[in-house]
Amino acid sequence: MTLEPLLLSAKLAFCTMVLIPLLAFPPAYFLAFGKCRGKSILDALITLPMVIPPTVLGFGLLVIMTPTGAVGSTWQSLTGDRLIFSFTGILFASLVFNLPFAVQPLRASFEKLDKRLLESAAVLGLSPFQTFYRVVLPNCVSGIVASSILVFAHSLGEFGVILMVGGSIPGKTQVASIAIFEAVEALRYEDALYMSAALVPVCFVFLLIINTVNGRQRS
Amino acid sequence: MKKLLTFLMIICLSLPAYAQAADLILAQAANFMPAMKEIIPAFEKETGLRVQATYTSTGKLYGQIISGAPFDIFLAADSRRPEKLFNGHLSFKPVTYAKGSVVLWTTNATFCDKTWKNVIQSPAAKHIAIANTETAPYGSVAKTALTNEKLWQSIQPKLAIGQSISQVFQYVATGAADAGFCAYSYMFTPQGKKGCFLQVEEAPKVIQKACILKNTPHKEAAEQFITFLNSPTVTAIKHKYGYE
Repeated sequence: MTLEPLLLSAKLAFCTMVLIPLLAFPPAYFLAFGKCRGKSILDALITLPMVIPPTVLGFGLLVIMTPTGAVGSTWQSLTGDRLIFSFTGILFASLVFNLPFAVQPLRASFEKLDKRLLESAAVLGLSPFQTFYRVVLPNCVSGIVASSILVFAHSLGEFGVILMVGGSIPGKTQVASIAIFEAVEALRYEDALYMSAALVPVCFVFLLIINTVNGRQRS
Repeated sequence: MKKLLTFLMIICLSLPAYAQAADLILAQAANFMPAMKEIIPAFEKETGLRVQATYTSTGKLYGQIISGAPFDIFLAADSRRPEKLFNGHLSFKPVTYAKGSVVLWTTNATFCDKTWKNVIQSPAAKHIAIANTETAPYGSVAKTALTNEKLWQSIQPKLAIGQSISQVFQYVATGAADAGFCAYSYMFTPQGKKGCFLQVEEAPKVIQKACILKNTPHKEAAEQFITFLNSPTVTAIKHKYGYE
């Protein structure tokens, strides 16, 4: 047994957690404060990866990430590398299926914000960007932390989508959940047990942190 | 409301009973699925017995069987797993029911007139799909051929691993991989005919064995099925899908 799959899972979870705010903040902000009709459509679209089976999402991603697919060909013309069967590829997939898990807690914490704070900020002459940076963000720290940790824990355990698009390449796309699956299939139960034993406490600790943060928010 | 609940309850309880209303349940390795889908109706027509089959990888089926899954016959993609069941007193003596071969399948037309060795070494082939060499028999024989031809080390950076032979097929069909080591039988499916395949003569044949499980309640029907696998009807179907 090697530590490589576990480290790779941690790397994937960390990169997803760091990058996902860029994708999640704008829609969460719009869903919380926006007033136009398209809101429920956007909401449904973003929540979709949470509801459709991972195999369906994975197959869809596989098709668009191939060198001839929409995302795969764009990526290849920009960087010269292939997106499929690479770490960047599973990171892209991870960002897509984690989006609802990041947006929902953020949106909830934005909605809880006192509207008068935003109005005062506007009256005092802050631009919308400054309002976001200096008023909204500091007041929503716990929501952001909860969202980040949820994303981290969720991508640590993701299996179905990565099985479909990863290609199980050691050191690149063979994350812990895939390595455990392969060990079980090959009847290497001890290896599977050790890797699982390492994964369960990590997930447990992260959930404990989420609960503590949420508890503090309530009190 | 009460009536509705009763109704729903009856439906829920009757579904599993309906699902098990078969005289014979097969655990069939996925590579043989195209052929088995023709064999089952032929057997049902001849005997009047109803047959159900579960299609997945040999490793997964083996795991289910040793955990007590209620199958009658195990039709593996190799000889190792049935022999293991037999040695563990879980099955009767395994018999060979098919010999399959591995081919290199590609949807890239420029590869069609080359040899498999040229294709995998070509810089245009960036990703080569292969089934898990530990659990999928068609992956193991492909590895044997690559190792014997001293290509196994050099091809490592290009390999993408599928969990089963059908995932390898899917990687090539979608264009994610440029070529892949598939089962010859897949070349006879409508999707398989869209690409071209190159023979891998250096790879050993995959000996596929079947065995009747010890705790089957339908031993007679199972024996009938095994005999049927050697009938001229089945031999014709097997040849149609490239099995010996």
